[in-house]
Order: sequence, then C-alpha cells, then structure tokens
Amino acid sequence: MSLLSVDNLTIQFRTDEGLITAVENVSFDIQPGEVLGLAGESGSGKSVTAKAIMQLNGHNTVYDPASKIVLHGDPDIDVFSLRRERDMLPIRGGAISMIFQEPMASFAPAITVGKQMVEQLQVHTTMSKSQAKELSVEMLDRVGITDPGRRFDQYVFEYSGGMRQRAMIAMALTTKPRLLIADEPTTALDVTIQRQVIDLMKELIDDFGMSILFITHDLGVIAQTADQLAVMYLGRIMERGPVRNVLRNPAHAYTRGLLNALPNLEDLDAPLMPIPGDIPSPLERPSGCVFHPRNAELAPGSRYETEVPPMTEVGPSHFAAVFPEDVR
Amino acid sequence: MTSLVSVENLTVTFPLGQRLFGAPPTLRAVKNVSLQIPKGSFFGLVGESGSGKTTLGRAILKATPIEDGKITYDDGSWKCSIAEMSKAQERHFRSQTQMIFQDPYAALSPRMTVRDIIAEPLEVLGLTKTREETDARVREIAGKCRINLEHLRRYPHAFSGGQRQRISIARALATGPKFVVADECVAALDVSIQADILNLLKKLQHTLDLTFLFISHDLSVVAHVCDYVAVMYLGEIVEEGPTKQIFANPKHSYTQALLGAIPSLDPDQRSRVVR
Repeated sequence: MSLLSVDNLTIQFRTDEGLITAVENVSFDIQPGEVLGLAGESGSGKSVTAKAIMQLNGHNTVYDPASKIVLHGDPDIDVFSLRRERDMLPIRGGAISMIFQEPMASFAPAITVGKQMVEQLQVHTTMSKSQAKELSVEMLDRVGITDPGRRFDQYVFEYSGGMRQRAMIAMALTTKPRLLIADEPTTALDVTIQRQVIDLMKELIDDFGMSILFITHDLGVIAQTADQLAVMYLGRIMERGPVRNVLRNPAHAYTRGLLNALPNLEDLDAPLMPIPGDIPSPLERPSGCVFHPRNAELAPGSRYETEVPPMTEVGPSHFAAVFPEDVR
Repeated sequence: MTSLVSVENLTVTFPLGQRLFGAPPTLRAVKNVSLQIPKGSFFGLVGESGSGKTTLGRAILKATPIEDGKITYDDGSWKCSIAEMSKAQERHFRSQTQMIFQDPYAALSPRMTVRDIIAEPLEVLGLTKTREETDARVREIAGKCRINLEHLRRYPHAFSGGQRQRISIARALATGPKFVVADECVAALDVSIQADILNLLKKLQHTLDLTFLFISHDLSVVAHVCDYVAVMYLGEIVEEGPTKQIFANPKHSYTQALLGAIPSLDPDQRSRVVR
C-alpha cells in the first residue's frame, strides 16, 4: 500500500497571456519509507507538483477535475476535497513537512529559531511549551548542531548556511511527518556542505523511516539519495523507475541527453554534449511529445510530433514516455 | 608562455561598518595572492562562497579598490599597472577587458532592446563613429554568439536563460576585448543549456584569441573547460596548476575535500572522483 498516490495531475495557471500548462497528466506513487527523486530543469513543473500536494499553489491555479492526490492512512485524505484552511493542517505540517531551497528565506528573521520550532509544535501537537522546547533542542542536536541549547535562542542570521538547512530539517522532523517534501534542499549550499546535508538526510531516513519526495535538478544528488527517480520535462514525466535502472539504462532521449550534458570527470577531454535547442516558452507548448523539437534522435515526421506517447514499461517497474515500438 | 595578467601579493580589504572613533573593523577578502594568467588560456578560479574568488576577479578589472599589491596587464603591445592608470589608459583598458555575470535575468536591462544592449559598450567607449558602423559590429558579434539577427529588436523578457546568457556574452565581446572575466556564468543555467554555453565560450576563445578568467564553484565544469586552475579558500590560493594535474593528483587537503564532495552519478558510489 503506497503512502501517497498522485493520479493524472494536471495543473494550469491563469495568466494575462492565457492559460499556461505547468503540469500535465502526472502520476506517481510513493511507498512508505521510500525516497522518490523528482528531477528536471527549470520550468519542468517539479515544484508546482510538490506544492499541489500541500495545496500551496496560488489562487490563479486551475486543477483539472480528473486530478487526484490521495494521502493513504487512517483515514485516507483526498487532498483536493479539503476546502477550508483549517482542514489542511493534517497535510500542511502534520503528516507532510516541507523544506525549501533557501533556508534564510524560510525562517522568520526577527523571531528566534527556537521560538519558531516550538510554535509549529504547538500548532500540530498537544505538547506543552516545555516539552516542545525539549524535543526541539534534542532534534537540533540530532541534526548535528553543536551547543543546541544556546543555538535554540539564536536568530537565523547567526547561523551559517549549512546550519540553517540543518535547523530547517530539524524543524520539519519534530512533528514526525510521514512524508517529507524537500524542494532543492542542497542547491544553495556549497559542495562540501551539500555532502554533509546529503549524509545527514540519509541517516535520518534510516532512523525515522519516513518517505521523502526529493526535488532537485542535480542528478548526482538524486543518485546519492533516492530509491526511485522520476524525470520531468515541461510538466510531463518522461521516465520513472528504480534509480539504478533509470540512470544506468535511460530509456528516454531526454534522460540520456541530461546525463550526457553533465561534465564527465572520468574523461576530461570528452566534449560536452548539450541538448540542442532551448527550453520553449510556456506559451508555445510543443504538440505531441513535448521534447520532440529538441530530440535529435527523431526523424522528421515521426509520430512524436503529433501524438503523445504513453508511459510504456521498458523494464521491471521502469516506465518511459515512448511508443512501444521504440523500446530497446 | 607570457602572462597576460600578473598579480603580485594582492590584498583586498573591505571595511565592516563604521566607528565613531578609530578605524572600523575590516574583512580581508583576498590575502596576499599572487597569480599569473597565461595569454590565451582558460584559467579557472574555484572556491566556495566567501572564498574571495569574485573579489579577485573584480580587482583585476579595477572594479574594486586594492589595498596592497600590484596587478599588471600586458598583451604584448600594450601594458599598464592597474593601480596607477591614467584616464586615457583606463579608457583603453576598459575596451580590452570585459565581464560576464552569473544571472542573465539580472544582467540585462529590461528596457533596452537586444541591439541596444550589445551596442551600449561600443557607444560608451566611443569605439564606433556612426550608427551604421555600430549596427554592423552588433550584427557581426551577435552572429558569432549565435543570436538570431531577427531577435535584435526584441526585449530581453522574450528570451530563455540560455539565450539571455548568449546576449550577455555578445555584449561583453562587442568591444573586441582580449581578457574576459566570466563570473559563475553558467551557474544559473540548466544542465542542458550549460554545456551549450561552455562550448560557445571555448569556440569564441579560439576564434577571437581570448583569455578567460573563469570563476566557478563547480569543479566538474572547471575540469572540462579550463587549462589552468587555482583553488581559493578563505581569501588565499591554496593550490594551482594545470587542470589535469590538479584533478589527477590534488595535493592540498581542501582541494581533495572539494573533489570528494562532488556527488557520484552512480548510486553505489559516494563520490565522483575515485581514489
């Protein structure tokens, strides 16, 4: 039984220029204790998908009626049936926590870190103030912040970048969420700090057993953290499956293109291979397979220009948006 | 090989706030750095945030005041010392050196057309006499940077990140510089575009005989495009040399830590660099 299932999620935004499609027919499941990496470039719809799970998209968002997001449990929660703000507490910070890219912007600057941690515990649990403080300090200690008692009473500007992200993780975990959404949590960090945060997250997965939806554009970070991988491009999932299968035997031209575009450290003389063309403007969404204008492997006039390819099984629980005849 | 830029014992400090009495506390962003940038090279400067790599790049372009030390620019036919330039020398120096910035969304004025953006340095420095001459130069450089000439009349908002970065590059190269400081110029770009911009820079380096100071935090990018690399940590250069040598055999523990921290694409391996 999966923890979260997303079915046929289609999200559009009303703008002055008309309706813009951000996410189209996205479906995936997250199993308990599993890390799903959601990879994609800017504009691929990965953050919009995550925000839909917590109902955090703006007022100009249009969800297609066929879209369904269900958080399984006792009882199941149908995210789109929640109408009032207070009904959303179980998904916003209760069963689901979220950490963001820029930890400086995620904490209030004029309230101590400790006070913010206690506040959210009082909203989501029945803990007393002293219990909440005790748990918060314990959690700061757990994520590797030295002298947590003193740090608890400090402001976020007194923390370094890595420490802020650790505090953010600590805060997200105090409510014991069943699902943690991490939106580019290491992108703003230096590589050495990124390494520490990745190691910390892996430890915490083992200790707490929650599921994680890990959003990043960095396939290296995904390889190090995720069990399953879904690759998005212009709002559609191009390929998904177990992380080893997808990275070792990529079935979609876009996944292969992304992997080839990365600088290869084993062979410094190898030429860099960009994906041809530019990411199209959201107003000029390509027909058929959204990647076809940049796909150098396609012959002119192929089916991909007009027809949307289905998710085809290319290996054990490994799917790609290709027509069955193109499965190699 | 001759050096285009030589930096000797450079120190740059910034005052931190003000005091009523006495001197304010200072931050030494660059400490006693010496560096030779060979002519025609693609010189990488790597380090984490706060290591002073941008400050060093700006100091070389006379965009930040120097506390101590000497920077000389010598392209074989013209030389000067950055700290003691006359107005006329500075004018020439400005046309010979340019900078490409990190964020192509912030670097281009939203109220100027692409043509005006690329033409601005030519007009400011008075390098072209007539509008026709300016237009001809803009078209030439735009073509070299693979900008569609029909797009010259548009405004930057109509372009994607990669296209915008090509416009920034065209603007930097319009004056025909010999030395370009590229400060994190691919950091804000998507992976599929990043490789394209790097290939373009490499190609332009050869066709226009440029020397690049390529500032980046991304070692895997530096490894691919740079001939030489210097690693900065807390305002000092801890290690420098030919790129291949540094990557094959890093001597300083900080360089080793940086290399070891690059996440591997193989889920069963921790880091990209195996030793």
